[in-house]
Amino acid sequence: MTIGNPINRIDGKLKVTGSARYAADFAVGTPLYAELVTSTIGLGRVTGVDDSAARRVPGVREVYSHANPLPVDAADFFGMGGRAQQSWQPFAEPDVRFNGEIVGLVVADTLIAAREAARSMRLDYETQEPAAVFGAEGLEPEELPDRGLSAGDIEAAMQAATQSVDETYRTSANTHNAMELFATTAQWSGDELTVYVPSQWVEGFAAGIAEELGIDRSRVRVVSPYVGGGFGGKGSLFTWTSIIAAAARDLGRPVKLYVTREQGFTTASYRAETEQDFRLGAGEGGRFTGFEHTGREISSRADTYVVNGSENTSRMYHADAVRTGVTCVHADRQTPGFMRAPPETPYFFALESGVDELAWKLGMDPVELRRVNDIDREPVNGVPYTSRSLMECYDAAADRFGWSDYEQRVGSRTDGDWLVGWGCATATYPTLMAPCSVRLHLDATGTARVWVASHDVGTGAYTVLAQATAQALGIPVENVSIELGDSRLPPGTIAGGSISTASNVSVIEIAARQIHDKLGTTAETMNPEEAFANYGQRAIEEYAEWIPPAASRKQARTLYNGKVAIVGGPEEDYTAFAFGAEFAEVRVHKYTREVRVPRLIGAFAAGRIMNEKTARSQYLGGMIWGLGHALLEKTEVDPRNGKIVNANIAEYLVPVNADVQELEAILIPETDEKVNPAGVKGIGEIGIVGTAAAIANAVYHATGIRVRHTPIHVEDLLPQA
Amino acid sequence: MVKPTDRSSEGGPRVSRRGLLRGSAASGAAAFGNFAAGAAEAQQSQETGSTAPTVTFSINGSERTATLDARTTLLDYLREDLDLTGTKVGCNHAQCGACTVLIDGTRVNSCLTLMATLDGAEITTIEGLDSEGDLHPMQQAFIDNDGFQCGYCTPGQIMSAIGCVREGHAGSAPEIREYMSGNLCRCGAYKGIVAAVEQARDQVEEAG
Repeated sequence: MTIGNPINRIDGKLKVTGSARYAADFAVGTPLYAELVTSTIGLGRVTGVDDSAARRVPGVREVYSHANPLPVDAADFFGMGGRAQQSWQPFAEPDVRFNGEIVGLVVADTLIAAREAARSMRLDYETQEPAAVFGAEGLEPEELPDRGLSAGDIEAAMQAATQSVDETYRTSANTHNAMELFATTAQWSGDELTVYVPSQWVEGFAAGIAEELGIDRSRVRVVSPYVGGGFGGKGSLFTWTSIIAAAARDLGRPVKLYVTREQGFTTASYRAETEQDFRLGAGEGGRFTGFEHTGREISSRADTYVVNGSENTSRMYHADAVRTGVTCVHADRQTPGFMRAPPETPYFFALESGVDELAWKLGMDPVELRRVNDIDREPVNGVPYTSRSLMECYDAAADRFGWSDYEQRVGSRTDGDWLVGWGCATATYPTLMAPCSVRLHLDATGTARVWVASHDVGTGAYTVLAQATAQALGIPVENVSIELGDSRLPPGTIAGGSISTASNVSVIEIAARQIHDKLGTTAETMNPEEAFANYGQRAIEEYAEWIPPAASRKQARTLYNGKVAIVGGPEEDYTAFAFGAEFAEVRVHKYTREVRVPRLIGAFAAGRIMNEKTARSQYLGGMIWGLGHALLEKTEVDPRNGKIVNANIAEYLVPVNADVQELEAILIPETDEKVNPAGVKGIGEIGIVGTAAAIANAVYHATGIRVRHTPIHVEDLLPQA
Repeated sequence: MVKPTDRSSEGGPRVSRRGLLRGSAASGAAAFGNFAAGAAEAQQSQETGSTAPTVTFSINGSERTATLDARTTLLDYLREDLDLTGTKVGCNHAQCGACTVLIDGTRVNSCLTLMATLDGAEITTIEGLDSEGDLHPMQQAFIDNDGFQCGYCTPGQIMSAIGCVREGHAGSAPEIREYMSGNLCRCGAYKGIVAAVEQARDQVEEAG
């Protein structure tokens, strides 16, 4: 048995020796170095560019700005079915749409000269007052009625409730802050372009670059075999990537760019802040009556982007009636984008906090309230789950946590000067899939090679695809090599939506079957030397496609047009989700109000697990992200000028090693033969979902203070006067 | 940020010193890369006021002399001039630890270390850890315990972990967590990292 085995990562040796090449690690001869120049105002226009000091820096080759632009068009916005992170190109016009927007680019012989020159740029601005945050004057709310759901009579259902919650929850803006700096190196060879850029979607990047430069897609190759953390932040084409390629073409040399950590906060995407109104009613015994969840989400002026998480919160529990809605609030900000569990992270903070509030009002154990409302058909379309092991997760995690000692009373536990609280919450993530192809090669020595333009962003894809290939062919995993992260490979999947394993394993199994059909073998009987001798060849190479059954013909075509189509989750005739349950113990210091999380225990059921070791790491990493979301992470925007004031990784707090104490993920066995041929549900995102609510619920248990926003800070927990 | 600079606290022979003795005979060529090329011009620039010091140092046991723009950091020199890209850049502000290397056996953030300060220094990077293809015990421990996911912070974590053990700050899991908190891992592999340090601790201590 290869699948499920906790084997070490097959790319581990490359990573621990520093040999794995990330985008900025590729040698391209002697490149020129680029440095971005970003705006220092939050709204307005550039009225003058004085680049004379920059041009006097020794080694400077060229300075670009709207006064000296590069010929780059804007590719279509990802949120509208395109490839780009936003719908406009920087410095194509003098307008400044948000603070920290790219307004210029310096290219020089050395990194030092580029940095010095970029800091020597002098720009004059005509400044307007931006509306950058909730509450500012001049925001433009755009209601999106087509995105809302409605089932049953919500008002009647709420009136039938004996207890209810009706609260507003808020989540903060967050920035991915992958450890790898964004970088781009562009190298032309004649009219062939190679771009080294950290990417969760090499095909979309290649197609988008071609679109922006006005060249044929076959001329562009995007290379990204190792990605220094994705988390959604590298899932759509960056605004600067084609600019670097255009500069390289203009100057006739390779050009290499490091985007600084600070610039990464404003020039890439982020998780926008939300405000959510949440109503939930319960009748006798705690059975839910009405469920209403509506969100308001910040986006840029130009682009409509919402994550609309109530599409999924509405499908978690029983409800007699459901109503959801979402409003995109246009502001003078950059366009937001995916960030780990984009819809679920903010919206499940509200749902799972709200369910806990209701449990306290009802005087019910919060685990039992969820059990009373457990379902096998979701309440919106009334269709069945392909599988649902939510309560198995609750029972396993509760048992490990010691939840039987839970007493629903504020202040029921203390330890010296520490107030101790316990909380729990549901984790979930829809099971999503996308069209995928693969080329699979097997030779008579029993060595297999797999080529697909999918990605390993740290998830373990290299390893689990090797395990899947080995199992499907009936060969040792050591004999499998995998190539990913190159747009020249057969079309793969975007590394987003936790779709990679389900989609790639499904297609690998088809390709392996094609090989077995030719050889007359099975995985159980595979003897490569003998099989190939009988077959009369030394090797076979097969190409296979897998189109998820739920995909339309138009969605299927995305396999070859550099676009993306993701299906699954709540569909018309079934609904597919992975589930989990998370339990948190928090300690709030009686005097300083410092919050610590000594224990975090989650249990997750996600279909077939390909590798217990890498799966566990995904869950644990996700839970740590949840810890950050709950207590630390906030992109602070100055309302006066739209400037992100903590745009560095010391003041934008992410969890460090000392923040993580007892941390455990329990893997609950689950077989789901309906969800996809591989029986796999995605696991990359579920770990973060629910963690923040579990911690907030535990903070309430400890202190009696219900914090309805993230992150929860010391100042939120000062004793009530 | 926990990055002790007291170099007197280490004891015993050091891998990097043995490496220096082994490699120094075969090297000594001046390194002129991208920074060095720009340095000559920069030196003449009255406007920038930069100078171009000449420094002699060893990297992974190989001695080098270089004349560099005074603003050149160790991190940029390693990556851009020597193509030693195992050392990663994560912030350039000594906030993340991805660029951690050993200088004279002590862990240091290379992004805020100017080459001009390294005359006579012995520098060990991730590329200098394994010997003849055999992984260093700390490298193997990171693999065994899945102490990484994306792998980007990993070279810095491993160099820092070796420094942490040598400092005597790896006595318990809580102590390791505290003294490894200068190395951020956004994937959240902290549990595996602590387990890796515990696994390799004794071997690193014995090796000195």
